[in-house]
Amino acid sequence: MKAQSVTKAKRKRPRGWFTVLEVSSPVLAVLFAMLVASIALLAIGKNPLQVYGTMVAFCLGRADSVVNILYKATPLIFAGIAVAIGFRASLFNIGVEGQYAIGATCAAIVGFSLKGLPALVHLPLTILAGMLGGALWALVPIWLKVKRGVHEVITTIMLNHTAYLLVHYLIAGPFMDKTQVIGAGGAGSPRVRMPEILASARMPELRGFLESLGISMPQHSSVNWFLVLGLLAAVLYWYFIWRTPLGLEVRAVGHNPKAAEAAGIPPGAVALKAFLLSGAVAGLVGLSDLLGYFGYFDIDFPKGYGFTGIAVALVGRNGALGIVLASLLFGFLSRGGLGVQVLERVPMETYYILQGLIILCIVIATDVLRRYMRAQEKREEAAADV
Amino acid sequence: MERTDTVLAFQGVTKRFPGVVANADVSFEVCQGEIHAVVGENGAGKSTLMKIATGLYQPDEGQLVYRGRPVVFRTPGQAIAAGIGIVHQHFMLVANFTVAENVILGAEPPRRGLVDPKDAASRVGELARRYGLRVDPAARVEDLSVGEQQRVEILKVLYRGADLIILDEPTAVLVPQEVEELFEHLETLKRQGKTVIFISHKLDEVLRVSGRVTVLRRGRVVGTVEARGTTKERLAEMMVGRPVLFDLKRSDRPPGEPYLVLEGVSATGGGRTVLRDVSFTVRSGEVYGIAGVEGNGQTELAEVIMGLRPVSTGRILLGGETVTNLPTRDVRRRGVAYIPEDRHRRGLALPMTVWENCIIGFHRSPEFARGPRLVFTGIFTAVEEAVRRFDVRLASLDSPVQNLSGGNQQKLILAREFRGSPKLVLAAQPTRGLDIGATEFVRQQLLDARDRGAAVLLISADLEEVLSVADRIGVIYNGHIQAEFDARGADPKVLGQYMTGARGQSAEEATPGVATGREEGGRRAS
Repeated sequence: MKAQSVTKAKRKRPRGWFTVLEVSSPVLAVLFAMLVASIALLAIGKNPLQVYGTMVAFCLGRADSVVNILYKATPLIFAGIAVAIGFRASLFNIGVEGQYAIGATCAAIVGFSLKGLPALVHLPLTILAGMLGGALWALVPIWLKVKRGVHEVITTIMLNHTAYLLVHYLIAGPFMDKTQVIGAGGAGSPRVRMPEILASARMPELRGFLESLGISMPQHSSVNWFLVLGLLAAVLYWYFIWRTPLGLEVRAVGHNPKAAEAAGIPPGAVALKAFLLSGAVAGLVGLSDLLGYFGYFDIDFPKGYGFTGIAVALVGRNGALGIVLASLLFGFLSRGGLGVQVLERVPMETYYILQGLIILCIVIATDVLRRYMRAQEKREEAAADV
Repeated sequence: MERTDTVLAFQGVTKRFPGVVANADVSFEVCQGEIHAVVGENGAGKSTLMKIATGLYQPDEGQLVYRGRPVVFRTPGQAIAAGIGIVHQHFMLVANFTVAENVILGAEPPRRGLVDPKDAASRVGELARRYGLRVDPAARVEDLSVGEQQRVEILKVLYRGADLIILDEPTAVLVPQEVEELFEHLETLKRQGKTVIFISHKLDEVLRVSGRVTVLRRGRVVGTVEARGTTKERLAEMMVGRPVLFDLKRSDRPPGEPYLVLEGVSATGGGRTVLRDVSFTVRSGEVYGIAGVEGNGQTELAEVIMGLRPVSTGRILLGGETVTNLPTRDVRRRGVAYIPEDRHRRGLALPMTVWENCIIGFHRSPEFARGPRLVFTGIFTAVEEAVRRFDVRLASLDSPVQNLSGGNQQKLILAREFRGSPKLVLAAQPTRGLDIGATEFVRQQLLDARDRGAAVLLISADLEEVLSVADRIGVIYNGHIQAEFDARGADPKVLGQYMTGARGQSAEEATPGVATGREEGGRRAS
């Protein structure tokens, strides 16, 4: 009884003020970034208030925008988690980009080649293929890092380029959809792509489910069940990091590999596991587009989610909820950028300026807040050490 | 009250930092030609006070009176110009410069805009002779012993014309002979009319060398006493605020079977041999101390035993089983507690919480984890218990360990490592940087483990610690155990000679009755 009350007393801290700060600081950072970006807007002769107003109205005032933001956020959630897992182990996985290209390729191959399977088997198999592809592409850099001490930043960047080239070869070579060449219907040049993914490997849209709940959906919506999987992945990621022995090991190795080693945790093995997991999650990044929208893999498959994932992990401070919120923010900005481009004739570059400023402001605000909180905690500990 | 021969007086000096009062209303006087010791635990405010005296900080309240006049030193330069110099604990020397070059650096005698090396050397040589500080002005600093380097630091201060010399923990890095020499130098300085402020927490030394002692506790002056009229116990009580036991409790039970055996162990690091043919035995129920000047292979010795560094030849046995080059996890599984010499690098993950650091290494035991899940009820019960047993003072188990004081961090490591009952305790520099209270606690814990039947290997650069805690002592020099001694009746001077390599190399000189392991090791090497 007594032990329990002591435990409670020791674990509880006046968290209220910290929570207020933690919630309000990213909001303030975004507002500050918008203020700074106003300078750029004023310089090109636009009224910032009007631009921001249009942005918000366009994004939040229309159902198709909301749905589009959710769709755009989906791959970013996976990418953010993939990068964050690496960061937790003090590894910088810049290779999410290449890993998801390979993952999507593997998924596409399984998706069009395995015929006659029920969706209940085929779809999970396809998703698994994506994860395996991503993990496979992560294996080389982490192996070189653990065995030879080659820095993962170098190898993953190089493997990103290797991945693009390999994927292009596979699309235009062994796995090219020959039907496109022979009988495409005379509409100009044939399309360079892989064959259509079978219906049994396609991810259903959320439309049916949401409408059954009485939520009316806009006509054009491609938001699919990968959004739900992404949220689930975020929960699992949180559980893995904070509630499992391996998660504890990953963080210990990330914070101080020497101390982890002395405690009997092999840092190399833990880094290997974490990086492969990061690669496997990276393998999921492209699947929402592949299995939920395009339905085939081609040379114009979306690029760049891996790099945005780094920003998502940074802004989300490697936290599960932070990553989800940051993904939504980036989805919002991307949609909003499109809106003001069309409606206000503001060039797309302002969107990049705003995005960069937001990343910068949030990272700085986070650090300032962290230092403040640590100083507070230190004071409490000093008071307890009497 | 004002004594006429007062050189420097602190009058109500207060210095605040955000959240802490480093010095509160500090008043005491330092007299002309005395050696005045300032003692206090870590964080008692000694160094802040000295930084105020040397112009690095300015007091928030109160004042310094120097030679009868209130002074404010805005910069270190002003303090030096007034004749106050400090020798820091960590030397500030350029390794590949000569002694003379180091001494004049920053205060070169101008001669048509050039430095005259001959002139500098002769000036420095003359200064060294006058104060009896034996050191060759032409020698390179990197070739000097630690004691000689300290003399260079003292010369630097004298060269700049200091009348009041502050020495910050000057004996922390010295072997016994060097301490003797330093004390002779201090006496010489005193005879020549210099005033010395001697900062330390080694009370035996303070009582030997100083005339008066000022004791600080939590930023306040507890009192200034005549060294002759006080005792170590009395000073310690003033410092800590409660009586301190210097006599550690230990049972007289004879030791048991050999538990840790090293046979001819060698290892390399950075392309050179760091351990040469090391052989010794630690029995259950005894403390085996490794004495030596730092950097003679102690770090590597701990690493090879823990499986953190490969052994190139020789073997290591734990309870009769060979554990040579086994992974750390397998070594630990045999009941090995490890207190690393660098708690920040090897002992703790500083940004992680108290509870996490308290279970790391044991986090997969059935009590703490079931399958892929950490069991928090088990964890918090055990951590609560361990923290209470080892008296770790903290506000929250969820707080990052970097917020704890050094003493509490070390206690936390002990609380973790003494989980279960370890059969071997490997403690490397376990009391480094700890205050008296925590030091006393840690040493007693090691002896308690010994009395419970654990084999304890204590690696320490603090000879006093090895002498007071160990049953047997091996002296390490240049990666080799030079000699073994029974701790009872061991002569610190003889140990010091082996520590500096002045004696030793041949194993035959060792005291009779040494462990069997070394005999075998010696034969294998030949």
